[in-house]
Amino acid sequence: MDAIEVIGLTKRFGDTVAVNGINFSVKEGETFGFLGPNGAGKTTTIRMLTGMTRITSGRALIHGHDIVSDTRAAKQLMGIVAEISNVYDELSAWDNVVFAGRLYHLKRVDIQRNARDLLETFELYERRHDLAGSFSKGMKRRLTLAMGLVNRPKVLFLDEPTSGLDVQSRRIIRDVIQDLARKNVTVFLTTHDIEEANVTCDRVAIINRGVIAGIDAPEKLKQTIESLQSVEVSFDAVRPGVVEVLRALPQASGITKEGDKFRIYTADPPEILASLCALAQEQNLRPISITTRGPSLEEVFVRLTGLSIDTAKEEGETDAGLD
Amino acid sequence: MPGWIEEILYDLGAAWAIARKDMKIYYLKPSILVSSLLFPFVMFLAFAIGRDTTPEILLPGLLAITLLFSATSIGPVSIPIERRTKTFDRLLSAPISVRAIVLGASLSGAIFASAIGIVATAVGLIVLRIGIIHIVAFCAGIGLTSICFSTMGTLFASYRTENVGEVMSLLNLVRLPLLFISGVFIPIASMPAWGLSIARFSPLTYAHDLIRFAFDETTLFGPVTDVAVLVLTLIIFQVAGALLYQRSRE
Ligand SMILES: Nc1ncnc2c1ncn2[C@@H]1O[C@H](COP(=O)(O)OP(=O)(O)OP(=O)(O)O)[C@@H](O)[C@H]1O
Ligand SMILES: [Mg+2]
Repeated sequence: MDAIEVIGLTKRFGDTVAVNGINFSVKEGETFGFLGPNGAGKTTTIRMLTGMTRITSGRALIHGHDIVSDTRAAKQLMGIVAEISNVYDELSAWDNVVFAGRLYHLKRVDIQRNARDLLETFELYERRHDLAGSFSKGMKRRLTLAMGLVNRPKVLFLDEPTSGLDVQSRRIIRDVIQDLARKNVTVFLTTHDIEEANVTCDRVAIINRGVIAGIDAPEKLKQTIESLQSVEVSFDAVRPGVVEVLRALPQASGITKEGDKFRIYTADPPEILASLCALAQEQNLRPISITTRGPSLEEVFVRLTGLSIDTAKEEGETDAGLD
Repeated sequence: MPGWIEEILYDLGAAWAIARKDMKIYYLKPSILVSSLLFPFVMFLAFAIGRDTTPEILLPGLLAITLLFSATSIGPVSIPIERRTKTFDRLLSAPISVRAIVLGASLSGAIFASAIGIVATAVGLIVLRIGIIHIVAFCAGIGLTSICFSTMGTLFASYRTENVGEVMSLLNLVRLPLLFISGVFIPIASMPAWGLSIARFSPLTYAHDLIRFAFDETTLFGPVTDVAVLVLTLIIFQVAGALLYQRSRE
């Protein structure tokens, strides 16, 4: 039996279709990524899967329990970490975790033990008596994770767990996710960070405008991403014919001009850099800036779906391309 | 143990956890405690000075107002705030029923209002030199009135908004008229016939009647009717609350 099974899941807000008939399933112990730009429908999907918002149509099963008809059994199995760190600012870290545990009807001793273990794991135990309101953003995030894990869930939902956090907080959270995978806990996480999806997930679904564009192993995704790397270069003076010269570079797979910058797409940025330097010397051009860039999510999405960038941009004015 | 009993126990546990959380966050704050304790005395100064009423009439009226206001003071504020901070989502995603959420949200206000009511009574008894005749009716009056009106507050907060002001102005639209039609300021006996017909529809009328009975055995409807009406009101409010919260999920 799959840990999560989603069939034709749809959510409408008035005329807006936030999630449009998506299908996927996640195996037990798998770490599944939901990758998409702002407004893609990631949070809405999690809210439906966790029973926080009503499902317009379709079904969602958690270990075979339907979230609508068998709500309690389904909810009992899951832990939730919302997009916003929703901790009670006026309660201490300890009281926050204990309260979360009480909602799951755990025994007192279990709550206390889990609270201590989790606060230690997330490096908050020393600060357990401090009010959550006095915590930094990263600490609140870690506290939210501790609260989401207090019932030892079999399926954990994480809505952008590490976005906007520093290296230390990210590391702790990634370690915990890896550790959960070892314990056969299923993790469903959303992100708009391609790197994060690559590092943490076994499989990744790409969602845009409420529709899944593709589900693949990150390896496959990585190939797409690699072919979409680019080098951005600008020269001290604009000279006609430069585009043609750049296009002739053997490693370049495409080129665009944005303002005074040239963007050269390539699967091999280091090689292009070397050629660029040689070329600049030869043509007597002075590069004033050179940057290598990964693809935006939009570009990956476009590549996977075969839509052109222009149409995707026109359709998705809210979809800010994130690097 | 049958499944449904287990579910009820589960929900009661969760409701109690929610109530304790609310007490800690919202009620056990010095400023809230002080202002709530001062409220009945301010009311006393506002209504007793210069008026010609006996303590037996005055104290039940003051208690009814105090219970109404302290039971509805925090619930309608805390829920919109928790919607804004998204902590309310924690309750929606927990394996508990909406009934548990509504009960939990109402319980803390009820406990708080009862405590304030008891302190106010204790002071009133000493200052006004009167006594309680029916202690059971008194306890039932305080407890039922508190939980009824704190549930009413929770009911108002089911209106899906993150804006506290909206809920408060709606609530005042009901709270203030209640005072005037329930015999608290204007004795029902001195109202015209239509006044009595309206008063019959206000739960505060029965709450006031029951508390009054506890002090001097004066009653319009009799304590049994008062208790029955309050219990019925409580059930209706709780069920309506569960339905409204169920519906207010987007
Ligand atoms: N409560 C709501 N009422 C109306 N529309 C909503 C509501 N919640 C979400 N939407 C709409 O649904 C769409 C999907 O939003 P959602 O929050 O699921 O996106 P997301 O993928 O989580 O984006 P982000 O990366 O910004 O968190 C958006 O167009 C949004 O405007
Ligand atoms: Mg989101």
